[in-house]
Amino acid sequence: MKLRKITTIVDEVLAEGGAAVDPVARTAVVAAVIENPWKDQGFVQQLDAGIDDVAPELGKLLAPRVMEALGTPLEAYGKAAIVGLNGEIEHGSALIHTLKFGNFFRDAASASTLLPAVEKRGPAGIVFDIPLKHFTDATIRSHHQSLEVRIADAPHADEILVALAGASQGRPQQRLADLSTEQ
Amino acid sequence: MQMPNIAKTLSEIHVRAVRTVVEEVHVEGGSVTAQPWRVAASYAVLQNPWLGQGTTSNLTEYAAYAAPIIAKELAGRLLESLGGAQQVAGFGKAAVVGLDGEIEHGGAFIHTPYFGNLFREFLEGSSIICFSESRAEPSQSLRVPLWHKTAAATRDYYQSMEIHLPDAPHADELVVMGLASDGPRPHPRIGDRNTDPAVTLAIFEEGS
Repeated sequence: MKLRKITTIVDEVLAEGGAAVDPVARTAVVAAVIENPWKDQGFVQQLDAGIDDVAPELGKLLAPRVMEALGTPLEAYGKAAIVGLNGEIEHGSALIHTLKFGNFFRDAASASTLLPAVEKRGPAGIVFDIPLKHFTDATIRSHHQSLEVRIADAPHADEILVALAGASQGRPQQRLADLSTEQ
Repeated sequence: MQMPNIAKTLSEIHVRAVRTVVEEVHVEGGSVTAQPWRVAASYAVLQNPWLGQGTTSNLTEYAAYAAPIIAKELAGRLLESLGGAQQVAGFGKAAVVGLDGEIEHGGAFIHTPYFGNLFREFLEGSSIICFSESRAEPSQSLRVPLWHKTAAATRDYYQSMEIHLPDAPHADELVVMGLASDGPRPHPRIGDRNTDPAVTLAIFEEGS
């Protein structure tokens, strides 16, 4: 894995809608910018070798960092793969949509659900939103939320940006009736 | 000496959110950096206290009350991110005012001793702190300069960080930011004023 940079973002929301949020809502993102493992290879039919090389290494790098940055027990999580203009969105999906990547985060967070994800291709500095859902029950409505991220100067055309996000809670001021009340 | 009345918490001064961003650069220009270069920014989003008061209103009184806790909270996050003041080499600061405010409102927070002196002392610096101030809609990005915390003219430490401000500042808010880095630019090699030749307008003269 050829790593260029790692960006860590920690959000603390103290108030929302004019009312205090107590305890403070924390959300953390850690993004790694790496060289696309399939760069300059044309259309690669079998992505397995690249996945085996890179996905576990990325998972090992990012999972403990996002837990440390969050600094509180995790209740919601999500992930992102943003592919530079020379790559395929499938390359980003390959890196984040196998257990070889996601299980590092699930294990670190004692989580069990699938990680919601954003995958897209774009120029360096593109804005993306990472969806997060509850870490053991993706139907828990209070924890559906998103986080806006922009990593300056990444991904370059031959790079992929891969990020993990975690939240200490659901939405600040969440007050929607639970799904079960409509069933 | 009577201690001034200052806010003790961010909530007292109506801070809505704090975001801290740390970049760690491992490779630049295709070459691995001697050690990962880290640069960090932490900012608070708070209500602009001076809206509708006109351009003759006194700004320093509230700045003296509100800016110290911002300096403390932002410096604390930067020091935690970089591993303490001994790790901090460069610093910078910024203010972004929402569209209903004056840029002078941002200056009141970052250009007065109630922020700057305290931020400098927390980071164990002695230089003037370089800065950026602007007014903008929410969800823009800005680039903020940093330089060395004790030797501002050291060229290897002229550097900048780009930060995105999702959903901030709203028109009635402002953003106050502090920045710190742990070393010079990756691969610095553009000399220094101590080694520069004398360059003057004479170079435009024929035969020079």
